[in-house]
Amino acid sequence: MMHTCPRCESKADLMAKSPVEGAWEVYMCPVCIFTWRSIEPESITKPEKYNRAFKVDPADIPLAENVPPLPAKYVNK
Amino acid sequence: MAYKDFREFLTKLEQEGQLLNIHDEVKPEPDIAAATNAMSKLGQETPAMLFDNIYGYTNARVAMNVMGSWPNHALMMGMPKNTPLKDQFFEFADRYSKFPMPVQREEKAPFHEVEITEDINLFDILPLFRLNQGDGGFYIDKACVISRDLDDPEHFGKQNVGIYRMQVKGKDRLGIQPVPQHDIAIHLRQAEERGENLPVVIALGNEPAITTAAATPLLYDQSEYEMAGAIQGEPYRIVKAKDSSLDIPWGAEVVLEGELLAGVREFEGPFGEFTGHYSGGRSMPIIKINRVYHRANPIFEHLYIGMPWTETDYMIGVNTSVPLYQQLKEAYPNEIVAVNAMYTHGLVAIVSTKRRYGGFAKAVGMRAMTTPHGLGYCKLVIVVDEDVDPFNLPQVMWALSTKMHPKHDAVIIPDLSVLPLDPGSSPAGISHKMILDATTPLAPETRGHYSQPLDSPLDVDKWEKRLRELMQ
Ligand SMILES: [Zn+2]
Repeated sequence: MMHTCPRCESKADLMAKSPVEGAWEVYMCPVCIFTWRSIEPESITKPEKYNRAFKVDPADIPLAENVPPLPAKYVNK
Repeated sequence: MAYKDFREFLTKLEQEGQLLNIHDEVKPEPDIAAATNAMSKLGQETPAMLFDNIYGYTNARVAMNVMGSWPNHALMMGMPKNTPLKDQFFEFADRYSKFPMPVQREEKAPFHEVEITEDINLFDILPLFRLNQGDGGFYIDKACVISRDLDDPEHFGKQNVGIYRMQVKGKDRLGIQPVPQHDIAIHLRQAEERGENLPVVIALGNEPAITTAAATPLLYDQSEYEMAGAIQGEPYRIVKAKDSSLDIPWGAEVVLEGELLAGVREFEGPFGEFTGHYSGGRSMPIIKINRVYHRANPIFEHLYIGMPWTETDYMIGVNTSVPLYQQLKEAYPNEIVAVNAMYTHGLVAIVSTKRRYGGFAKAVGMRAMTTPHGLGYCKLVIVVDEDVDPFNLPQVMWALSTKMHPKHDAVIIPDLSVLPLDPGSSPAGISHKMILDATTPLAPETRGHYSQPLDSPLDVDKWEKRLRELMQ
């Protein structure tokens, strides 16, 4: 079953399953690193219900500011 | 007195009625964060909480709000739980002045009980969960992060123990926020200049002295371990890491050994911060975890951070105020009485001082802004007379109401440095700052009508004591 990142709508990976079988699973998005548990409220787990102010466009991710800045030798590579 | 480990401190809290065991089944989200946020609303004397019935886990335990009240802060220092805040401040200042206390080295620690070096999965080892709705993931935000100065690796004091927000970003990967003002950013810079990874150790679930020292704004070459010893009044116990020369708190519940990857930045956040606002959506360094140790059935200590006041504010209130107090006293030893820098980590600070002559209080306000901590905080410094208790806000408001003249006593200094997380700073990291001089004008500054201050009826002190007896 495919899991869609609620925040950037990329395809997400399974990270963990509950020690008690079947209680929940944890997913992580490899693009925006959003992480969620399957049993969280739909405002967290469903792309269409995720808070719009916190949505991430994958195209913006490479533009994010580096904190702290990278030394020049890494930037020029 | 010292607590040997996290569990001994929890036991003390329980004996003192300052630990609430919650056996109700809770969901990881939103219950644990919601309960902790709710606890902070119940006053300044709330207990720690220990959750032991978490849906989907078999034997996980999560401790919250461990230092989230003044009684718990007093117990951290081994004082009676009802010690007034101002007394806690002066006791802390006294112990702070006993720095440095030499450490005690050990060979073995309880966390050596279980060791994992293959197939590490942090999600299986720790009952991780989301704190605030906008958070980008599950964070670790009360752990001690330890690193060394690569150019001076033998210098014990330059080894840093700090508390940084860390986003769990994979089975053995963490994102970390080392803002440039933090000591670990100096170590990372050295490593990246060399093109080497920086060894780090992360210790979770510690007794409270090291957590307090790690959250105290010390100078770069001052050891948090030697400060923890001074705070607890006994040598602090440490044990060596296996993959590096780093020293680890002996009493930790869980220890992660790894390295900060040189030259790597990755999307991080947002995360609800102590400013009461989210920050994030920036690219930050990555830690790769290579080795994990933990006590059998470890307790996961976590920190809810959100709209003030929360545990963070109790944790960094007194230990932020005291260094500022000591640094002001270095400049004006006979005048400075007390400092309250408890508001949003000292973005607002209140200084109680005697004055030598007119204009003196404004100089004290400017000196507060130029202390090491003040460079990133002290956006507003309120200066009050020596007989005003800076921890008593009604008294401070009285001083502002009656002693402060806006034409003479409100001083704005433009475009000073402030921490970039201040949501009002513009650009991030730059803000005007203000001094409000609420002291009584003193010659040659003669203005206002202050010659007839109210006195008290005779024998008030005697009656206060008698009334306390009658009301017991
Ligand atoms: Zn995503």
